[in-house]
Amino acid sequence: MRSADRVTAVLLLAISVAFSAGALKYYSWWGSGGPGSAFLPFWLGLVMALLALMMLFKTIKEKNPGQAWLPSGEGLRNMLVVLGATVVFVALLKVVGMILGTALYLAALIWYLGRHRWWITAAIAVAAAGFNWLVFVHWLRVPFPEGKFWLSEAGIWIF
Amino acid sequence: MDFLSNLQLGFSVAFTPFNLMMAVAGVTVGILIGALPGVGPPSGVAMLLPLTFGMDPTSGIIMLAALYAGTMYGGTITAVLINTPGESASVVTCLDGYQMALQGRAGAALGIAAIGSFIAGTVGVVLLMLVSPALAKWALSFGPPETFALMLLGLTTCTLLAGDDPLKGYISMVAGLMLAMVGFDIISGDARYGFGIIEMMDGIDFLPVAIGLFGLGEVLHGAEQAGKAQPVQGRLRLRDVLPSWADWVRSRWAIVRGTVMGFSIGVLPGAGPTVASFLAYTVEKRVSKTPEQFGKGAIEGVAGPESANNAAATGAMVPMLTLGIPGSATTAIMLGGLMMWGLRPGPMLFEKNPQFVWGLIASQYIANIMLLILSTLFIPLFVRAVRIPYSILMPLIVVFCITGAYSLKNNVWDVGQMLVFGVIGYFMKKLGYSPAALVLALVLGPLAERALRQSLIISDAGIGIFFVRPISGVLTVLALLAVAVPVVRAFLKK
Repeated sequence: MRSADRVTAVLLLAISVAFSAGALKYYSWWGSGGPGSAFLPFWLGLVMALLALMMLFKTIKEKNPGQAWLPSGEGLRNMLVVLGATVVFVALLKVVGMILGTALYLAALIWYLGRHRWWITAAIAVAAAGFNWLVFVHWLRVPFPEGKFWLSEAGIWIF
Repeated sequence: MDFLSNLQLGFSVAFTPFNLMMAVAGVTVGILIGALPGVGPPSGVAMLLPLTFGMDPTSGIIMLAALYAGTMYGGTITAVLINTPGESASVVTCLDGYQMALQGRAGAALGIAAIGSFIAGTVGVVLLMLVSPALAKWALSFGPPETFALMLLGLTTCTLLAGDDPLKGYISMVAGLMLAMVGFDIISGDARYGFGIIEMMDGIDFLPVAIGLFGLGEVLHGAEQAGKAQPVQGRLRLRDVLPSWADWVRSRWAIVRGTVMGFSIGVLPGAGPTVASFLAYTVEKRVSKTPEQFGKGAIEGVAGPESANNAAATGAMVPMLTLGIPGSATTAIMLGGLMMWGLRPGPMLFEKNPQFVWGLIASQYIANIMLLILSTLFIPLFVRAVRIPYSILMPLIVVFCITGAYSLKNNVWDVGQMLVFGVIGYFMKKLGYSPAALVLALVLGPLAERALRQSLIISDAGIGIFFVRPISGVLTVLALLAVAVPVVRAFLKK
């Protein structure tokens, strides 16, 4: 925890200095009759820099390294798998399409995390994708990414 | 009488079949969402907000307010059955509720929480109805300095009360304000911190941020502990949920105290249900003749805080509706919703959109009755929802986060943003920062900046304007005190 706090403090300090400096360089400090667009950002950056310094100072004074905060073993693996699968889903959203993507994402992740029977997994995946289609596409007319596969368009044809 | 005709208007709005349906749907979905470990009111409201865009704003807020009340109760179910609070306002319920469940009295705990919530919620709406118009009338005289001082107070108190480490709370809050600076500046037209990216120039929407921080962040956090929490076994029938006469006698004053305290705390800008429930628990323990029973299954320890958090959830509507200052992350998201629907929260809302305000108030009565009925009759069903394995729940929640973020503006950029803030939310939770303070600041940021700049134009750049005017003076001093308290406390410790 201590080293994580220290890294965060340094990062925040760098960001806040850049934030304030950027405000002064690119935006106007004083507009017509009042504070301009640089005014509040500059002060916010300054306050954040101060807070970051306070935290940095605190971690330097702190002798106790604190508890480990990162998970390990199975916990870490599960977290990374959920995150990874989600990143892949979002990255491929425009290619695979929302409805088909939902079904595939759910099937893969539910199977990995729980090892439930295949028909339970499949039923949940199909039901959730169908629900998504019904509520968002059919009722709310949200133009979901359709994807490049015939399946997602065929899905709309069926209904 | 003006008041009665307003209420009549409210009920005529709330009793339309569609709005009635929305209230029922809100409560039901709310209990379910609240019952899912890790998904609390803010993520529930954020994920469902996009669904309301196609609706009339009145129906939308009716659903969201009913949802808020439902999640408050739903959080209790997980607290009692698996010792995991469904949301932060139910943390103290775990202390005695889970003990009661271990003694085979889960039904009584859930029952008294339902009855307490009903009483507190209903009394809360009556108070909301009486207090809000007067407060709105008073707030009409507020100028930019008062508005800014009030926002400052809301931000600092929320931060002060949010977490264990005030320093990290303030860092979260200032980070939220910094994020709020991104995008077009309304006064000068500068596209701040856009880095030439069109989507960034539009500003950072609070909704993908909220969905990411609360929804995805919680899921990632929960993924680590998947399978660790085990629900208390045993079936719950309707008969088990009804508390005995002795239970009622023991808890009735706790419910009354919780209601009064909860509502008063909810009205304060910045302090919400979580604070109310903690305080109610402390008070119950203090006034109890048998404080040694607390932590071992004292029913007052469930009744008091559960009444308090529902009353506070209703109380939190007061500053949101009358002043446009949300008191918690959940009301901040609702406030953002109000602005998206094109309504201007604040004192004028009562005059310009009476059907909206009074429809909301009337529907709160209905939502509370629904809550009582659903939470007693269908308790076995909701209990079953708690037992759905994490491995199935988590992917489903992520899918909801993704569709929710996407349907805001129908673009994948927001989904990516949600993803980034999901990861940030995970680290914030791990390292003890406050996502609630960040979201509150992000929503209030643009409003606060405008009020600040207008004030400084009025005063010709003199900062004294915030102290000289009586109302803003008091508010500013209070806000500064909230900053000073942790500093002084740390100093005294040495």
